[in-house]
Amino acid sequence: MQKEMTITIFEIVGSPLCVASSDGQRVYDRLAAALKEGKSAILSFHNVSTLTSAFLNAAIGQLYGEFSEEQIRALLKVQDMEPDDMALLKRVVETAKQYFKDPQKFDQAVRDTLGDDGNDA
Amino acid sequence: MKFELPEIEHDRSGFEALVRLEAASKDCLFDNIDIDMDKVNWFDADMCAALGAILYRLGENLNTVKLINIRSGVENILLKNGFLSHYGREKIPDRWGTTIPYHRFDVKDDRYFADYIEHELMHRSEIPAMSPGLMKKFRESIFEIFSNAVLHSRTELGIFSCGQFFPARHRLDFSVADLGVGMCQNIKDNMGLDLSPVDAIVWATEGRNTTKRGSVPGGLGLKLLGEFIDLNGGCIQIVSDAGYWRRQNKKTVTASLSHAFPGTVVSVEINTADTNSYKLASEISTADIF
Repeated sequence: MQKEMTITIFEIVGSPLCVASSDGQRVYDRLAAALKEGKSAILSFHNVSTLTSAFLNAAIGQLYGEFSEEQIRALLKVQDMEPDDMALLKRVVETAKQYFKDPQKFDQAVRDTLGDDGNDA
Repeated sequence: MKFELPEIEHDRSGFEALVRLEAASKDCLFDNIDIDMDKVNWFDADMCAALGAILYRLGENLNTVKLINIRSGVENILLKNGFLSHYGREKIPDRWGTTIPYHRFDVKDDRYFADYIEHELMHRSEIPAMSPGLMKKFRESIFEIFSNAVLHSRTELGIFSCGQFFPARHRLDFSVADLGVGMCQNIKDNMGLDLSPVDAIVWATEGRNTTKRGSVPGGLGLKLLGEFIDLNGGCIQIVSDAGYWRRQNKKTVTASLSHAFPGTVVSVEINTADTNSYKLASEISTADIF
């Protein structure tokens, strides 16, 4: 029985351009299936040249709606990522945590934004 | 009906002219619509995306659209970028390779769009040598714009894109237009917020604001785009419904247009002479991500 499985994004998407939310969904389906079984997964970004927040939101962000931060931290690892892609993923993860933590608060932040946002012109 | 189009520049006045066309023609059905371009001495080619969207909708209403009296300089550009091919003309070769062809996509065409960007924009010898960091950021930004239209517009009529490169000015313009519900309606339907068209764009461009509901989070795309443009020294314009929003030199300007655009347009100007490395000051450890 494998201890840790590797999920290769390029193999799932079939392209170095990981930009579509629908492709991210397919990555999510595999990750979620592994995590549900309590398996550790390594997500490899080998040969991926371009990522969007839409792809990462679908592939990884939505995990936070299904699993706890502790579970994700314990079971999921990433590898072969460029530093700036890691920075993007980190932002996607932070946004996802916020999104799932308190949708009400999210909406309040929206209202606050509009309340104190003056147009510069 | 006949509509006289004025000069179309890649700015607020250009969008204002296009929404006037939309307002004048939106109720036409089974009509002959002549777009008279006799007064158009300049047409910023990326604006074909927004014009094409408006004209496509007219076609859907079974109108016959003709572009007439096109001046030769403008005609040349619109023939080269394939726009006039949609109105009965033949595409001509782009000898200097400065056009990025006009295309219409369906929302399921993510991969087709990706191929188009790679072949028509990234891997063309005529496009100036940008630093690898800039190329990557630029590519990501374009895809963020398209993803935004796919995820939020609910368009059934498609997504339209077009671009133009200006070598002497070190500028690349690229626009994506959709015929969706617009930001205002989308925010109202999903968030219950009744915002003005301008406030809707302001809302959507703030980080963490998203109309996404359900299992997949969102809300970063336009924020990332704005951050990139701030660093690059370019410009981003958004038109949605009757709202106009522009960000340049880290300053935002908003205005109301006289009429509504039937969807959303996101238009970027990229400074191709940008020498920023886009390398991060400090690297993130994989252990710190989750």
